[in-house]
Amino acid sequence: MRNDVLFLTLNIFSATGGIEKVCRVAGKALYEYGIEKNKSLQIYSMHDGKNAADENKYFPAEIYRPYESNKLNFVKDAMHKGCKSKVVIISHINLLSIGWSIKKLCPSTKLLLFAHGIEVWSPLSEVKKKMLASCDGIIAVSNFTKQKMQEIFGLNEKKITVLNNCLDPYLPLAEGNEKKELLLKTYGFCNQNKIIFTLARLSVKDRYKGYDKVLEAISLIKEKMPEIRYLLAGKYDPEEKKHIEKLAHRLHLGGHIVMPGFINDEHLPSHYALADLYLMPSTKEGFGIVFIEAMHYGLPVIGGNKDGTSDALCNGELGIMVDPENTNELATAMEKVFQNKKGFMADKKLLMEKFGYDNYKLKLNVLLDIATNARMN
Amino acid sequence: MCRIAGILNEGLNIDSSEQMVRQMCQLLKHGGPDDEGIYSCVEANLVLGNRRLALLDLSDAGHQPMQYQNRYFITYNGELYNYILIKDELKKLGHHFITGTDTEVILAAFSQWNVQSFAKFNGMYAFALWDNVQKEIYLVRDAAGMKPLYYSTASDGLAFASEIRAFKAIPYLDKANNNWPVYLMAYGHIPEPVTTLADIRPLHKGCFFKYNVATGTHSLQSFAHYSFSNKINTNTEAELLIKNTLQKAVHRHLLADAPIGVFLSGGIDSGIIASLASQIKKDNLNSLSICFEDPQFSEKKFQDNLIQKLKCKNYQYLLKEDEFENSLPTILKNMDMPGCDGINTWFISKYAAEKGFKAVLSGVGGDELFGGYPSFQRASMTQMLQKFPAPLLNITKYSNKKQLARMAYLNMDGIKGAYLFLRGLFTPPEIARQLNATEKEVWNLLEDLPVISALNNLENKNKTAWMEFNLYMQNQLLRDADVMGMAHGVEIRVPFLDDEFIRLSMNINAAIKFKGPLPKQILINTFKNILPETIWNRPKMGFSFPFAKWLADSKYVKGLMEDGNKITKLNYKKFIAGNLHWSHLMSLILLRHRNHA
Repeated sequence: MRNDVLFLTLNIFSATGGIEKVCRVAGKALYEYGIEKNKSLQIYSMHDGKNAADENKYFPAEIYRPYESNKLNFVKDAMHKGCKSKVVIISHINLLSIGWSIKKLCPSTKLLLFAHGIEVWSPLSEVKKKMLASCDGIIAVSNFTKQKMQEIFGLNEKKITVLNNCLDPYLPLAEGNEKKELLLKTYGFCNQNKIIFTLARLSVKDRYKGYDKVLEAISLIKEKMPEIRYLLAGKYDPEEKKHIEKLAHRLHLGGHIVMPGFINDEHLPSHYALADLYLMPSTKEGFGIVFIEAMHYGLPVIGGNKDGTSDALCNGELGIMVDPENTNELATAMEKVFQNKKGFMADKKLLMEKFGYDNYKLKLNVLLDIATNARMN
Repeated sequence: MCRIAGILNEGLNIDSSEQMVRQMCQLLKHGGPDDEGIYSCVEANLVLGNRRLALLDLSDAGHQPMQYQNRYFITYNGELYNYILIKDELKKLGHHFITGTDTEVILAAFSQWNVQSFAKFNGMYAFALWDNVQKEIYLVRDAAGMKPLYYSTASDGLAFASEIRAFKAIPYLDKANNNWPVYLMAYGHIPEPVTTLADIRPLHKGCFFKYNVATGTHSLQSFAHYSFSNKINTNTEAELLIKNTLQKAVHRHLLADAPIGVFLSGGIDSGIIASLASQIKKDNLNSLSICFEDPQFSEKKFQDNLIQKLKCKNYQYLLKEDEFENSLPTILKNMDMPGCDGINTWFISKYAAEKGFKAVLSGVGGDELFGGYPSFQRASMTQMLQKFPAPLLNITKYSNKKQLARMAYLNMDGIKGAYLFLRGLFTPPEIARQLNATEKEVWNLLEDLPVISALNNLENKNKTAWMEFNLYMQNQLLRDADVMGMAHGVEIRVPFLDDEFIRLSMNINAAIKFKGPLPKQILINTFKNILPETIWNRPKMGFSFPFAKWLADSKYVKGLMEDGNKITKLNYKKFIAGNLHWSHLMSLILLRHRNHA
């Protein structure tokens, strides 16, 4: 049976990273596109477990198929359905060989690839480069990712469209003060503390998020601002936790840092409410959804100027951009924010205009209209 | 429960928009006999209209369109069954309420939670909500699609209404969709998203449509949907949950400040609803039923059994042929979009209105969720037949045997082919002949209808449940319940479609949900202690109305059909000779009524 859009993914519901967030929101947008334009849609996930999509808010489970890491079946079905689809969208470069094979067997199928960040910045083998060239379009989550792909793979600029990530329309609503008080107690903070918040996976390969630099910057101002505290949240590797604790100890910040580990989505609003500043001086961020989420919950943000963060911070219109390697610059920016928190909060209107779900959908719809009508460049 | 309408169009001056909306309201008057209201926002060129049928807070305080904080304005049709809970939550957050209506709760909820408020609503509703600060209008429809809402974005604006007929008041939208007769003849109704007008479409259930006046941009977004899972795996757990959840649902559905009754057909589903309602209402339960003189069709004895057991007050209505004959032209006129069913609903609603009821509970939904239709028994066979090679299936299409001829529909993959094979009326060659079209044109139109292409991972009977729930119930039963009820100003409420109950039933593993010697065995097991055995252990009567005879005797039908084209006349002869089912004839009557045959 002819299908309009096939969305191939690695994980959607069984992992909690930024790419999975993009897949959930894109899945919802595609589902709604189908309703609005009378198009059929199928979503396959290679690794999601059998019941992963149960009671999800994004799209009905009937249009979705999880393969529980059964790669062989996934590849077989993806090829079969892909050849009967007008458009195949792959959520990750690791699915490129499947997309390329579909394209080989059925050249009229349009192939789109989501390019997020670090996964598309590393050099590829010649074979993979050829496969990449077979894509009819690449959806890059930031201008930085687009530039990198052009630089590394020499891709035609027209082939890459920037579609910035957006705020998840199901983000839990901000909460009242009750939970904030409870959290202050839990973490041993008090109302007088100035709390810096970073939410990231803590592992050796994720050090580019820059939490080491945050600690160093805090050490520069802690004499002046003894009330400063660092809430470094996110799932951590035990080794990395030890590394961070050692660093904190060396910088005499032992009592200034709390690492609560993984925070469930529903508890995020209260954590954002607790903090005074979101700071993540990363150097290899594809986009940084967490920045726009922090802004959404009313936090001023500071980010680096060397990666996709520039898009999330709208080149400085929504947050402060610093050289992520320069701890003095970081420390100065922190002080500035603590002196005038409200003055550095993002303009909500601009935030929604740039990263609201409505506009994300509009842009994605245009891409799909072009692809389903087969007028791709 | 009300009827709603509205226009937002910069190209029109506000006086013309207002006049059109007033006309739309006039065309929808039957569904809102108690009050009329108009709200105009000159700055945005927006007019909202409402015809009110008052069920909660019968005072003028419930007048619509209603405003909140002088920022949010709403025209609303429906009922929220959990509005008291939401109201309490909002009160704790500092909201103050002036009225006792659920309308005001929707406004306050939106002001608090914006679009995330919609998923909190458990009820049947369709509304338009205007945010006068953001300059955005939202059209919203309940997750089960119980209340209809049609809209158009043609001519750079937005227009919406509860019924298709209202768009007659907007000259630029009153343009027919010439393809609808094909769908009517195949399906017996007009399936969503098709309508009889070219530029009008239904709002998809569980979705909202947002239109921004400043930018002219719009967006359709989903806020709720239902999916199957296998979370509940034991009979004991399932039965306990069914009992408790349905009890709560019926309790919620009895909430009204106006007189409320229960439809009693004599079947299991309405029997369960009536029994549960009687536990709550004690001796104050009012029930309504229809019976016929011909015992072949009458379910009177089953109804009497139940009435006796429940000791409820019953209004039994003996429907006779002469009344049917006299009412048929009005019934056809009252149909918003043509559909072959719904005549029974029209009569029982008429009777409810005569007896002073403003709302009645119905058993719709039980068959779809728990496997009450023969289609559930035919699920595996249908799937097997769908794998037959196309040429083999095509051979059957000229067969005189209805079942065999419909096998050609299995050429269409997925749920669409299965549905038309199981429930379709005329076959593509017959439709082509009747409408003077080519068979290819007919096939193309039927293929073009967007119905979900494949149902991944669903067990066979859950697939059938999906089909009956999303196609037959959605496009036929719920539309009938809304339009035929509203034709008499009566609200039909469906406790089986309570949000919590739908979610529960879809979470029951298909292996236990559809298990047992009788259809809906799990419902029977759960409620057999409160239901007389004669109700659950009775022979199936099928569609028990004597319409075939009455339509054959009808002078009105005869006149209509004999004025039709050659094929219409031939088909009428076939019907009189007993070679055409009455539902097929009904679709031809509907075509003739709208001058299409």
